[in-house]
Amino acid sequence: MIRLESVTKRYGTETVAVRDASFDIAKGDFVFLVGPSGSGKSTLLRLINRQEQPERGEVWVAGQNVNEMAESRVPYLRRNMGNVFQDYKLLPNKTVFENVAFALEVIGKPRHVINRQVPVVLELVGLAGKEDRFPEQLSGGEQQRVSIARAFVNRPLIMLADEPTGNLDPATGEGIMALLEEINRTGTTVVMATHDHRVVNAMRKRVIQLDRGVIVRDQERGVYE
Amino acid sequence: MIARIAYAFREMWASFRRNLTLTVAAILTSAIALLLVGTTFLIQRAFDNLLVQWRGDVEMIVFVRSDATPEQISLIDQTIKAAPTIIDAEKLQYLDKTQSYEEAKRIFVGDPVTLSLLTPDNIPSQFKVVPITQDPELVRSLSEQYRSLPGVQDVALAEDEFQVISTLSRFVRTVTLVMSLVLLVVAVGLIWNTIRTAMFARRREIEVMKLVGATNWFIRVPFMLEGLLHGLLGGIASCGGLWVLNSAWTNGVAGFKPGTGISSLVVPSSYLTGVMLMILAIGALVGAIGSAIAASRFLDV
Repeated sequence: MIRLESVTKRYGTETVAVRDASFDIAKGDFVFLVGPSGSGKSTLLRLINRQEQPERGEVWVAGQNVNEMAESRVPYLRRNMGNVFQDYKLLPNKTVFENVAFALEVIGKPRHVINRQVPVVLELVGLAGKEDRFPEQLSGGEQQRVSIARAFVNRPLIMLADEPTGNLDPATGEGIMALLEEINRTGTTVVMATHDHRVVNAMRKRVIQLDRGVIVRDQERGVYE
Repeated sequence: MIARIAYAFREMWASFRRNLTLTVAAILTSAIALLLVGTTFLIQRAFDNLLVQWRGDVEMIVFVRSDATPEQISLIDQTIKAAPTIIDAEKLQYLDKTQSYEEAKRIFVGDPVTLSLLTPDNIPSQFKVVPITQDPELVRSLSEQYRSLPGVQDVALAEDEFQVISTLSRFVRTVTLVMSLVLLVVAVGLIWNTIRTAMFARRREIEVMKLVGATNWFIRVPFMLEGLLHGLLGGIASCGGLWVLNSAWTNGVAGFKPGTGISSLVVPSSYLTGVMLMILAIGALVGAIGSAIAASRFLDV
């Protein structure tokens, strides 16, 4: 589903964000990218959804070479990926329903599809009944659920999560992880960048560890260390 | 498809209202710029009216009395052609009464009083003379000779009228053209800035849109429509201004005595309509260019 071949990414001329990274993630996998801040986790995610272009090497997603893809095809690539962030990136002037609906609206989905799919996904993330709230009226955990609902409403093949539990207390974080696991069980490939030990150790999933841009460990059913 | 078009217009309108101060500034600037462009065209046309009888290097016109006999006309024709070293006999043009009347209708469009005094019967016919020589004195002395021929009503020399008018016309055209070009650039810049501000205000939304896979065109179109609307509204305002200006001018000119020549500075209303349509088109174009630059720059993430 996702394959990196000797990918190097530099910011400016000095800082190497990722050096010679290679891995292969199969469909339906759940993978943690771990390592301290600045070790290149976020950059890897940004390479996969083509917010960044590598300096060397190739990124393949769902059989397509992401780097050689025409600019005009990139939106269609991204429709296969859901993105979840530490800071949620919700739109404050839209309700829960509108935030999720927005993701379908801007890719041109007709109203009747939106009205059918949004309640289903809100039910799935446990926010049924809170459709008309605004983000500021929700707790952090609830806001993250809205953001997951938005990422998942189009049923993407891949879910990219960048520190989704970073702003949440442990108990709330567990709830989010349970949700991501549930989404993973529907066949969606999940790649999650984190430096949260407890989460990684509790889940026992594949772990790819980075240190200053270099992959130092790639282990099935790993722990954080 | 309909959902997308509705979305684009809804977003355009929302953004249009949000930034009222900048929006008004952008519209006013483009209105003034376009007004100047329109004025340039009208002035140009007015001067062209004055010069219409001097087209094609014609530098001397021999007016023939309307009651001249064919023999007299033929004598004038021969006299003019008798100086082939000074006069270009090839380009010598004779407008009979009907043709002269057609031309008069254009020249006196703003002077119906004079025009109503002319009929295809009483209008003087005319020889339009193109000289070969560069020496104005030679042409002048020739004109004196023609004036004494039987049947000749008058001889007009281009030098006398042409020089002043064409110099003035060229000067006014250059000044207004440069000013309107500068203002058009300013208008593009202001529209660009307005759209950029609008996009910056909505950068979070744009970021989310890009991440969930909205195409660049989908993101861009509402903003481009907004810029287009700025230009178009500016165009409409300047059309109103142009109409007022032209009406005031036409009324003012009507106060002059008939036949003073000022009246030929009036522009026919069909031409005014043409200029207005063109101004609307330029306005829309200016808006589209300004917003397109802003939209494509800002979307490079």
